[in-house]
Amino acid sequence: MVSTVRTQAQPAEVALPRGLLIAQAWSALGDAVAPLSNPEGRPLARTVKLILDPLVLRPVQNPRFAAGAVGIEHVDALRDRITEAGPVLAATAAWFLVVKKERRKAGITDGNPQDLYFQRCYELASAHGDPRLDPAAVAGRAAAVLAEAHRREGPTLAGLRDFVTGHDAELTRLLDTAWAHPPVPRREPGPARPEAFLATCATTPDRALFAALVADSAGSRSAAELDLPGGARVRGLTDLDRPARPVLGHGAAKQNLPKPFDRSVVERLFGAVTSPLRDALDDVPALVRQEISRSAGPWQLADETGRVVLALGWEATVALVGGPPGPAGGATARLRLRWDREAYVHRALRMPSSMPDGVRADVDGVREAYQRRLWVRVHGRELRHDTVTADELWDVLDGVLRSVVLDQRDRLRSALERRSAGGPS
Amino acid sequence: MRVERTEAGVLVGAWPAHAERTALLEARGALLAWDVLADDPVPSARIHDLDRAADWLWEVYGTAAAAITSGAAEVTVPAEGDWRVRDACRVVAHLGWADAWWPASPTAGVPALDPALLRAELAVATGSVEHLLDAEDAVERALAAVGPFTADPAVDALAARLVALAEDYGVVLAEAAVPSRSSFALAAGGGEQAEGVTVLSGADAVDWALVPQGVVDAAADARWSLVRRQGSTFLEVAVSPGPRSGPPLAARFGQVEVALDDTDGLGRVTGRAPVPPTVLLLPPAQRVLTVYAPDFASPAAGPDPDARTRRAAIVARARSRVGSPTATLTERLAGRR
Repeated sequence: MVSTVRTQAQPAEVALPRGLLIAQAWSALGDAVAPLSNPEGRPLARTVKLILDPLVLRPVQNPRFAAGAVGIEHVDALRDRITEAGPVLAATAAWFLVVKKERRKAGITDGNPQDLYFQRCYELASAHGDPRLDPAAVAGRAAAVLAEAHRREGPTLAGLRDFVTGHDAELTRLLDTAWAHPPVPRREPGPARPEAFLATCATTPDRALFAALVADSAGSRSAAELDLPGGARVRGLTDLDRPARPVLGHGAAKQNLPKPFDRSVVERLFGAVTSPLRDALDDVPALVRQEISRSAGPWQLADETGRVVLALGWEATVALVGGPPGPAGGATARLRLRWDREAYVHRALRMPSSMPDGVRADVDGVREAYQRRLWVRVHGRELRHDTVTADELWDVLDGVLRSVVLDQRDRLRSALERRSAGGPS
Repeated sequence: MRVERTEAGVLVGAWPAHAERTALLEARGALLAWDVLADDPVPSARIHDLDRAADWLWEVYGTAAAAITSGAAEVTVPAEGDWRVRDACRVVAHLGWADAWWPASPTAGVPALDPALLRAELAVATGSVEHLLDAEDAVERALAAVGPFTADPAVDALAARLVALAEDYGVVLAEAAVPSRSSFALAAGGGEQAEGVTVLSGADAVDWALVPQGVVDAAADARWSLVRRQGSTFLEVAVSPGPRSGPPLAARFGQVEVALDDTDGLGRVTGRAPVPPTVLLLPPAQRVLTVYAPDFASPAAGPDPDARTRRAAIVARARSRVGSPTATLTERLAGRR
C-alpha cells in the first residue's frame, strides 16, 4: 500500500496545507501503519486527532505545526517529526491489532476502539516497542489496556437512585431552600459585548474578551430573560411558562426525556452517570447536591463560563430565524450559511419538504432545538469539569448546529420509513 | 476550471444543473458535487470555509488546489496524480445520489437497488473518506443506518469490510435477517372496468421530487381521463408503482384533488373523484396531472421544461450502470438481490 503523494510546490508558495504534508510523510511509513490508516493509505481522522496531533506534532508547543497551512520553512521539520516517529507509530499500529484481537476474544463491544486504545497503544509502543519483541508479555499488556480502558469508575445510575431514595427528605429541603432564594437577576447589559466576540471567534477568538464576558457575568445577565413569562420556553428549555422547581425524581429513560428545565434531578444526571466518561464525575452525594443548587442558578448552570456559552449560542442563532446575520465571517453569519446549505442538501438528497404535523413539531424550531442541545452539552461538560475555552467556542457552536441538523435528517428519514411501512406516523 | 469568488465563498467549476443529477459530498469547509450525467471525475466545489477546506483540497484538485486557495480565476487540474481519495469521495457521493434518485422503473427496465446493500456499501465507502468529511461521526452514523444485511457470495468481500469497519468503530451492526424486499404491487385490486365514455385523457410525467424514492415508477407517466357516466363526470387517475411502498399518494388536476388509494388489475395505483362538468372546459394548458405524496412534498408551481429530457437521460444512465464493471456494487447487483 506504499504510495507517494506528489507535490509540485510552486515557487511563489510560502505555505503548504498541513494535510498534504502529513499525508506525504505518512505514506512514506508504508504498510507498517496500515492499521492506523484508511483504505487509501491516509491516516484515519482519529489517528491525526489522537496520535499525530497531541503526541507527535504537538501544535500547542509547536505553533508552526498548527492546523492550516505550514510555512515553507517548517515543512521539512514537520516531515522529519513524523518520519522520526515512524518506528513508534509502526509499533502503535501493531499494538492496536493486538488489543483489538484481545477485545474480540473478551467479547467486548462497547466504546470506539480508536478512541479507547489509540493513545494507550502509543504508550505501549513508546515503553515496549513492537509487541513482537516480547511475545510472552503481549497478551498480559493488551489485557491490561482493556482492563484500564473499560474500567468503569465513578458514580452509577444505581448509586444515584439509591442515594436519592435514601435522602429524600434532606434533598427535598435543599431543593426548597435553593429555589426559595433565586439569584436576583441583573437585567442591564454589561460593558463586554457578546456580538464582538462572535464576530471573530471562528478565526481569531478574542480570549481577553471571552474572559471579560465571564468576569462581567454576561451569561447571568442574559439569563434574566428566562424568568420572564415564556422566556425559557422560547429558548426550548421548558414547556412551562416559567421554569418550575424540579422534582428529585427516581427513574429516567434514554428516550423521550422532558425538556432540560422540566427534568427531575435524577433525569438531569442520567446522561452523565451512564456515559463512558463517568469516571470524570464527582461522587454521587456531591453530584446531587451540586445539581440541586445548579438548578436554581442562572441558565440552571453553576459556572459562569457555561452561562456565557449559552448566551453566545442564543445570540449566534438569531439569523437562523430571520434575524440579522451580523458581519461576514462571524459566528452568526457562518451558522446562517450552514442552515442555508442544509436547505440545499435537503433538496439534493430528496428529503421530504412537507410532513404530517406530528413530525413537523419535532423538526421545526431549529433555534429552540439548538439551545436545548447546547445546554445539554454545556451541562455535561460542567459535570465533568471540562470548561469550554475561548478557542473551542466556535467548534462547539458549529458542532451543535451540525448535530441538530443531522438528527433532523435521521428523524425525517425514519418518520418516512415508518409511514411507508404502514405504521402510525 | 473556472473559479468564482462570491460573498458566500468560492465556487470551483460548474455546479450540476439540477438536484436530480447531483452526487453530493459534504466535506469539511466545502460541498463537492459530481454531475451523474457527466463522466468527469473532477467535482465542482462550493467552498464556504477556505481554511478548513485547504487541508484536503489538494486530494481533489492536486496542484490546482494552491491556485484555488490563492485567488486564481482559472485553474487546470492535472490528469495525472494519485486520485484514490477523490475517487473514494465520488463513490460516497454517487451512492448518496443513488439512495435519493435512483430511477427504478419496471417499464424502463431499471431494476431496484437493494437498500440494505446500498447502506452497507455507503458505510464502507464513508470509512475511506472520513478524514475530510464535515460530520465527525459520519462513519458511526452510516454504520447505524445499515439495516439487517444478508451476506451472499456476491457481497462477501463487502460484508467482511463492513464487519471490520463496525469493529474498528465499536458499532454493533443490526442482526442479519431475511432481507425484506417489497415485491411489485401486482395484487389485483378492484379490477372493475370503469364504464362510461372517456371524454378526455392524457398523461403527464411524475415529478420525482414530489414522491419518495422508489414509490412511483420513475419512467412511466401518470395517466388521467375524464369519464362521463350516468350523467356525472369523473376524473380517473392511474400511476405505475415503483419497487417500494410509501406514504399515500394523491393527484391534483386543475383544482381537483384525488386520493390514489386503490389498485387496478394492472397493479397500478388508482383514484377516482367526481368533478364538475366545467372541468371539461379547462384550457389544455391547465389539464395537467400532478402526482404527489402529501406527507412528503407539496406540488410546487413553476415549469420545468428540461424535466423530460433530463429524466430520460438519468434513466438511460442508470440502466447503463447496472452490470457495468465501473459502477458501485449496489448498482451492479441491482435487481439481483
